Amino acid sequence: MSTKATPAVVIDKCSKWYGQVIGLNEVSLAIDGGVTGILGPNGAGKSTLFKLLMGRLKPSSGNVRLFGVDPWESTAPYRRVGYVAETEKLYDWMTGHDFVSTLARLHGMTREEASDRASHVLEFVGLADVQNKEIGKYSKGMRQRVKIAHALVHDPDLIILDEPLHGCDPIARTSIMSVIRDLGTQGKTVLVSSHILDEIERITEQIVILHNGRLLALGNLHAIRDLLDKHPHRILIRTENPRKLAEYFVPEDPVYGVRFAEEGALEVLTNDLSAAHSVLPRVIVESGLKITSIENPDDNLEALLGYLVGGSS
Amino acid sequence: MMDRQGRGLSETVWTRLDRKAGAITELTIRQLRNRLSTWVVLAVSFLLLVCLLALFIGGVRDGWEPIDNDNDSHDWDGDGYPAGQEYKYGSDANDPFSFPGSGDFVQEDYFEWGGVGQHSGNHTWRYVTGTFTYNWIENNPIGGDVFLDVSNLDDCPEGEIFDDFWLDWGSGCSLAENSILVHEASFTGNGTFRTQEGFGGVWGYMEDVFYVEPEPASNYIDEDDIDWTGDPNKINGFDDDGDCLRIGWPGDPEPQWWWGGGHDPDGNGNGIDCDVQWILDSDGNVVAIYPDKNVDEDPSEENLAYEDAHRAFIIGTGKIAFVMILGIFLPLFLALGLVRDETENGTLHYLLSKPIHRGEFITYRILGYLIVAGGFVLIMSLFMGLVTASLGPGDSIFRLKDVIVWLGIAFATILALAAYGAIFNTLGLLSARYGVYIALVIGVYEFVMAVLTLGGAELIPVLSVSHWTLQLIDSIVLIVWPNTIEMHLIATAFQLPSGITAFWNPPVHTLGTESPFVSGLLSVIVLMMITSLMILFGQRQFKRREIM
Repeated sequence: MSTKATPAVVIDKCSKWYGQVIGLNEVSLAIDGGVTGILGPNGAGKSTLFKLLMGRLKPSSGNVRLFGVDPWESTAPYRRVGYVAETEKLYDWMTGHDFVSTLARLHGMTREEASDRASHVLEFVGLADVQNKEIGKYSKGMRQRVKIAHALVHDPDLIILDEPLHGCDPIARTSIMSVIRDLGTQGKTVLVSSHILDEIERITEQIVILHNGRLLALGNLHAIRDLLDKHPHRILIRTENPRKLAEYFVPEDPVYGVRFAEEGALEVLTNDLSAAHSVLPRVIVESGLKITSIENPDDNLEALLGYLVGGSS
Repeated sequence: MMDRQGRGLSETVWTRLDRKAGAITELTIRQLRNRLSTWVVLAVSFLLLVCLLALFIGGVRDGWEPIDNDNDSHDWDGDGYPAGQEYKYGSDANDPFSFPGSGDFVQEDYFEWGGVGQHSGNHTWRYVTGTFTYNWIENNPIGGDVFLDVSNLDDCPEGEIFDDFWLDWGSGCSLAENSILVHEASFTGNGTFRTQEGFGGVWGYMEDVFYVEPEPASNYIDEDDIDWTGDPNKINGFDDDGDCLRIGWPGDPEPQWWWGGGHDPDGNGNGIDCDVQWILDSDGNVVAIYPDKNVDEDPSEENLAYEDAHRAFIIGTGKIAFVMILGIFLPLFLALGLVRDETENGTLHYLLSKPIHRGEFITYRILGYLIVAGGFVLIMSLFMGLVTASLGPGDSIFRLKDVIVWLGIAFATILALAAYGAIFNTLGLLSARYGVYIALVIGVYEFVMAVLTLGGAELIPVLSVSHWTLQLIDSIVLIVWPNTIEMHLIATAFQLPSGITAFWNPPVHTLGTESPFVSGLLSVIVLMMITSLMILFGQRQFKRREIM
């Protein structure tokens, strides 16, 4: 367990330049305990941040400390860290159990300890039944989970997951998300990166938003979300008869307007997204129309970033 | 057992380190084992060695033809007399008309070139082309194939010679009774010779002809064995075939220019004619041999050549197949990508997110590679050893020393594998893209240095891994077979065909001690230093490397 005196992760005015291109720009952060989502579009600096934490890169300026130790200089903190890299390559010729137990031995475990721990974590990530199959035969979701298993095998205090949900099908996503939430409830410090707001929202409330290498926002997602909700929002409803549906929506209080943006779809405009969503089911039932989909085009990272960047400028 | 902090022995830093080393080494071995290219390289290497063994077994089965070391059993000029017999009689071993008892040809006249000539008389005709009508001609002449044997000539074909048919050089055909057609032929006969247009020829007679029975060639093979008493103070070396002493030789006492070059029976200048001077050091080891010319120059192969060839096969295979081919190619295929491939694949992230220093990581990777490549070399050398030890010459059923030398070759090759592995791995780290080309250049350089070392160069190749590896093998050979140096000296002194002189050189870097132990130890230290320095260099590079 991390001691209170030294937070698991401390980043102090850290910048990383790749030649003329900046990867991370004067970021300062301290993270300890619970699940923290690192949110940002591709190229925002999430992987750079993680690689600095894992001692793969040397900061151009500023300091990085893992449990109080500079990870570029010492591998000691890795005893307490599990890292799931973005890479999709694995040793395909190994079985899942083999992979995890081999890497466990790099923590100084005996063969038997490593094997026991591997079985344990593979069960935890839900791969118990396929642990003796070759990784080459795994599905995408299984491959992500075996990567997570390898990072958990030594029961680390800090777990860093770089885009763990990338490319997974919905079932795999759900199971990986539940694994991450479980880790959080076990009191571990978990850093998980994603470029999809919805994914992070289902895992944690505590987020860090990176944009163009800068730290854009930090804190509770709900607070940020509330700010966002007060902003004009669109709800896109696909139905057979948008005009008829519009008649039912116009009188509703949170709705200030409707638009027929495209064929077979109604765009409902609101200033209070949650209020609008709360009346949505009733209105639909009343209309008696068949609805094929409901989307929130503004409820994504780009919209959030647009709002944050727009708001800050 | 517990340490001071009360931890069990199985939990100390060292055992943990040991486990990490084991894990990475094992992973490396399994990775190599799972790569097709590894098996292809090992299979090709195996085939190479099997082919060499097949040659060896073939050689053993065919046995040995006795070798004519001084080349005097051959009838160079085809006159029916071996060269040794011609030397004895002072005749020209390269002139078919000059042989023991041939006498001297006295030329009387000749046909002009280009025109048509005719001459009658009882002569010895030489190199004539045309028709000869005779009343007497010598049948079954002595002097080998140089004289035309007219006793069984075929009838000439219809038509004109050179237009309608052709005769071989020196041959002829029968035109009619007592008339022959010849082409550049030589014979003795009484009659009229008419030359073909465009040819010449001479005639004359032989002086002082007498008959000498040609000796069989075998008289001149293995006819002068090495007579070494083991005591340098006694007279050593005996001119068994008498071609140094030349007592009672019937021919010209002065040898011809092409043989002997002004014969000096005491070439080594020790005051004793036709002997061999053996120089020993204080330990009784032979350090030099100075034979007078033509003494002990054609020994029986039984004592020397079998053993020489056998050792040469082992040393040659060890140096060329093991060190120069396996030693350079296995690392090129197996070591170059040890860390580079992991970086390129991205799988390095799994390994480096563990509490293991990058430097250690490199060391264990090389260790893993070394177990695969070195294990292969060790098994192959034992395999070769079992075959050569069972089939080699000598009285013993199993030549145990063969196996020891093979193990020494394996040891030297493994040191080379370590050094090249460290060099190539570091090159792969330095430049993922160009490392392989630099490695190839180094491979060629090492090969050339090895060839120079084989050729006896002592100075330039010092700056190569192969030089020290080959010297280590030379040292091990001398330790296991101390008389190799004596065999080397004998082969050089008596100019015997020897594989040992081709593949083995006395170790040179003995720091003045002349001891193979010193040169061997020095070679091991140099090779280990090269390996360590290259690993350290690679570690430094890798430690400071940012990994994307």
